[in-house]
Amino acid sequence: MWRATFKALLANKLRLVLTALSVVLGVGFVAGTYVLTDTMNAAFEELFDQTTGAADVVARSSTAFDASLTEGSGGGGSEERQPFPEGVLDDVATLPDVDVATGDVQGYAQMVDPRTDEVIGGVGPPTIGTNWSELADQILDIRAGSPPAGPDDVVVDAATARTAELSVGDRIRILFQGPPREFTVSGIAGFGEADNLAGATLAVFDLETAQEVLEKEGVYDLINVVGRDGVAASELRASVAAVLPDGMEAVTSTTVADEASDTLKEGLGFFQTALLVFALIALFVGSFIIFNTFSIIVAQRTRELALLRALGASRRQVIVSVVTEACVVGLIASVVGIVVGIGIAIGLQGLLGLFNIDLPSTSIQLLPRTIIVSLVLGALVTVAASILPARRAGTVAPIQALREAEDAPPTRALVGRRLAVAVLVTGVGVAAILYGLFGAESNEATLVGLGAAVTFIGVAMLSPLAARPVAGGLGAPLRRLSIQGRLGRENAMRSPKRTASTATALMIGLGLVSMVAILAASLKASFDAALTETLKADYTLSTSSFTTFSPDVGERVAALPEVGVASAFRQDGFRVGDASSFLTAVDPATVEDVATMEVSEGSVSELGEEDTVLVHREVAEERGWSLGDEVPARFASSGDMPLTIVGIYDENRLVGDYVVSLDTYEGVFTEQLDAFVLVTGAEGVPLPEVADSIRAAVAEFPNVQVQDQAAFREQQAGFIDQLLALVTALLLMAIVIALFGIVNTLGLSIYERTRELGLLRAVGMSRRQVKRMIRWESVIIAVFGAVVGIAIGVLFGWALQQALRNQGVTEFVLPVGQLVVYLVLAGLAGVLAAIWPARRAAKLDVLEAISYE
Amino acid sequence: MEAAIPEPPPSSAARASGLRKVYGEGDAAVEALRGIDIEFVGREFTAIMGPSGSGKSTLLHCLAGLDSPTTGSVWIGDVDLTTLNEKQLTALRRDKVGFVFQAYNLVPTLTAAENITLPLDIAGRGVDRAWYDQVVDTIGLRDRLGHRPSELSGGQQQRVAGARALVSRPEIVFADEPTGNLDSRSGAELLGFLREAVSTYDQTILMVTHDANAASYADRVVFLADGRVVDEMRGPTVDGVLDRLKSLES
Repeated sequence: MWRATFKALLANKLRLVLTALSVVLGVGFVAGTYVLTDTMNAAFEELFDQTTGAADVVARSSTAFDASLTEGSGGGGSEERQPFPEGVLDDVATLPDVDVATGDVQGYAQMVDPRTDEVIGGVGPPTIGTNWSELADQILDIRAGSPPAGPDDVVVDAATARTAELSVGDRIRILFQGPPREFTVSGIAGFGEADNLAGATLAVFDLETAQEVLEKEGVYDLINVVGRDGVAASELRASVAAVLPDGMEAVTSTTVADEASDTLKEGLGFFQTALLVFALIALFVGSFIIFNTFSIIVAQRTRELALLRALGASRRQVIVSVVTEACVVGLIASVVGIVVGIGIAIGLQGLLGLFNIDLPSTSIQLLPRTIIVSLVLGALVTVAASILPARRAGTVAPIQALREAEDAPPTRALVGRRLAVAVLVTGVGVAAILYGLFGAESNEATLVGLGAAVTFIGVAMLSPLAARPVAGGLGAPLRRLSIQGRLGRENAMRSPKRTASTATALMIGLGLVSMVAILAASLKASFDAALTETLKADYTLSTSSFTTFSPDVGERVAALPEVGVASAFRQDGFRVGDASSFLTAVDPATVEDVATMEVSEGSVSELGEEDTVLVHREVAEERGWSLGDEVPARFASSGDMPLTIVGIYDENRLVGDYVVSLDTYEGVFTEQLDAFVLVTGAEGVPLPEVADSIRAAVAEFPNVQVQDQAAFREQQAGFIDQLLALVTALLLMAIVIALFGIVNTLGLSIYERTRELGLLRAVGMSRRQVKRMIRWESVIIAVFGAVVGIAIGVLFGWALQQALRNQGVTEFVLPVGQLVVYLVLAGLAGVLAAIWPARRAAKLDVLEAISYE
Repeated sequence: MEAAIPEPPPSSAARASGLRKVYGEGDAAVEALRGIDIEFVGREFTAIMGPSGSGKSTLLHCLAGLDSPTTGSVWIGDVDLTTLNEKQLTALRRDKVGFVFQAYNLVPTLTAAENITLPLDIAGRGVDRAWYDQVVDTIGLRDRLGHRPSELSGGQQQRVAGARALVSRPEIVFADEPTGNLDSRSGAELLGFLREAVSTYDQTILMVTHDANAASYADRVVFLADGRVVDEMRGPTVDGVLDRLKSLES
């Protein structure tokens, strides 16, 4: 008896560790997200202070966009500022308050690795070209060589030098808006300790060269001003502002640093929110495991609780004791979770280094907010999940202490009120999702997310109803197979509630994973359809990461005799009234040879007129526009510029909602880079020949890919697959937690069934057969969770696809093969989860087990 | 096979020689069995009796291969259990031995019929239909075969356990206080069934009990005290057994 007690205690310890683990992982994910983003934030702030600290005041063109409105789909163009004439510098430099003033330019400059002939950077952080100046000398630390001194010299950032193994004296080709050029590396520079600036690559030329290659001759993008000693920054700002022409502004360097860090914070904030969503999913899944564990613990401790009641403990005291236990488990697990989170953050930071995003070494940021949120969340989730089991513990009657322990707690299927509640909860969840997706003004992500959570809870409440028949059905083939299979099936069916709540965790994980898979497959199919239906070109010229490239490429290709038409497309953000939107620029003369737009009113050729626009039919109808009306367009650098509608088209999958001519585009944007160029072969020239000649013509631009439709499509599918893999990986945490749940439940069930296992062993069941029996039970539970999860995933995926129809996800595809693979993997995961419980069951001493009470 | 030989001599179904069992070590050591030499003949119903702590359950466990002797040997048929490893012991329990415990005899998720054929299913062996029918008819529960244990009375459950013990035609059936949890009527039914199994169907049963009435169903009663065989009786009666027990306890 003592031995049994000791073993029970040991089992308790293990059980608590397993329960805590699900909280640890969830909280670790939350804490890790905060620590990582806080650390990155701190690091970048330090970096921005350092890089802007050299100047006191900055003079630049004003932007037509106020900083408050940065939402929407606007791209880099929305922050673009117009260059101004060089003459302004003289006015500023001669001010009595000014010590030093430098005119500076910035623009697109992408370096090509001389060893591999591949472009460096460009995915994510920008590739910046700028000029050397007196002030640059203070920001940049030349680590080798010397500053650029002639039209042939360039200084590169240390990270780029490291990536491409560049040393001083090496030749390097650089791509610009205009034609590419070769330079000699004259120096290698870092930013204090950091090798680059937030992952951006940097090419620094002397001023004259920079103005030439960046196509900023005679103009500057900004003036950096240092005041004389004793002049306050605000004073200096005022005196600089006084001499600036209309359309220009002077701001302190603090403002510039703040703007930079605000932009970054916004980006990091998005990153943080995305990670937190996955962390919360993991915690949500964990809460089901806590609920399940506490339910089983309470059931197993019925006699003990009844004894307490018989000895005079009140119902309240019993409930409080269970909740307190949960709270302690939650808090301890959260503390461990925070430590784990710091580990996760350090690991992820190392990962960023692999992507060439160089962070200055800042100490890990563990803010009080992180600790508080983690502790509160961990404790709250645990306590919330234990409330129902605790209430059940409170209903244990003292008389139950005297009764014989029953074999297994008999669980009744859902009846009456409970069923009604379960249906209601599910209904509310589904309604929230549907309203969020279709009813609300825009897609309400939070509402949809909450709706999904509520739906999962509802389905979890309903699933005991399905557990018996589904587990029975799944296990039916096992019946004939062997007695172990049959017993495994019976065990999975014997307590539908337990099976259901164990499977729920996996159900959520697989529901989300399959939803994402369905969405990815639908995206791919929609993209394929869009390509087939809108693209008439033989070849597409684009960069692998959809960055922009020099218009020189399109011009060179257009001039080839093997080429019929080469039509360039540019895209950038602008505003219609106050709403952000995307603008596509096309060549009106050739666009219809390479793409389908289905212009139903007006015509593309009328875009030849200045300041005209084509509008997608849906937008026009929504806004009540017709031919001849004006679109109230607004651009960052050039301000308000009403565009007259000269045509309405039906096909927006390639060009979006607003289309202008390249000429109009050049008038309103400063930067002129192509997004893609569509090319058709000249008549009578075999396509391979066309391709060869295009490739030869763009050989100098290693960032540009020449692809036929099939290759282009494949590449897009590759992107979607990558994204799918990333999201699935993030959801994996939830699935791992779900597996712990199965381990936990099986372990507890085995403990409960000691007697029965002893009997089976006594009448001749071998250890191997016992293991197999447990394994089958586990597999059935896992597959049950997977089946329900995939079913929900299919419904969610379908709803999401329907909601995104107008955003171009026109096709619904069920990736059956993939879902079957998930199902099989879930079964294998069940095998994995059974390893430890099965081993434990097989190890039971027969004699002890049969005399165990 | 054996049945082909006409009138075989009474063979030994189970045997122990020099059997000692010590629990614990050093000062805390408890000697449960202090050298037992005993033989159980086939087709006989033997009851083992003795005051609590006499070692009767330990003897049964050792004979059944559930516990291993500290010294000495145990045979089932002509197999020396002390030479078997865990796997072989499991197979032996499955194929050569039947069990009826005091309680928790049945797997709650299986029907009565499934519980009866459990050892055969575990072994992956086919069921001898004629023998199965005979056993089922003897326990008299044909109409309850599709029910789960929770739907059967305690007596019915024990009879199902008895049927399970017999269905694989074991060399010997071990019954550990099989009537301990039953009322007298159910107990009598079970004992009648065990008696019939031996008398009519040539089975061999070894039963541990502390109930003189139960022992009176046996062919032979073996009395244990302090881990030793102290007496035995053939053709026991209730009163005879009670008298002997009284003398043991005094």
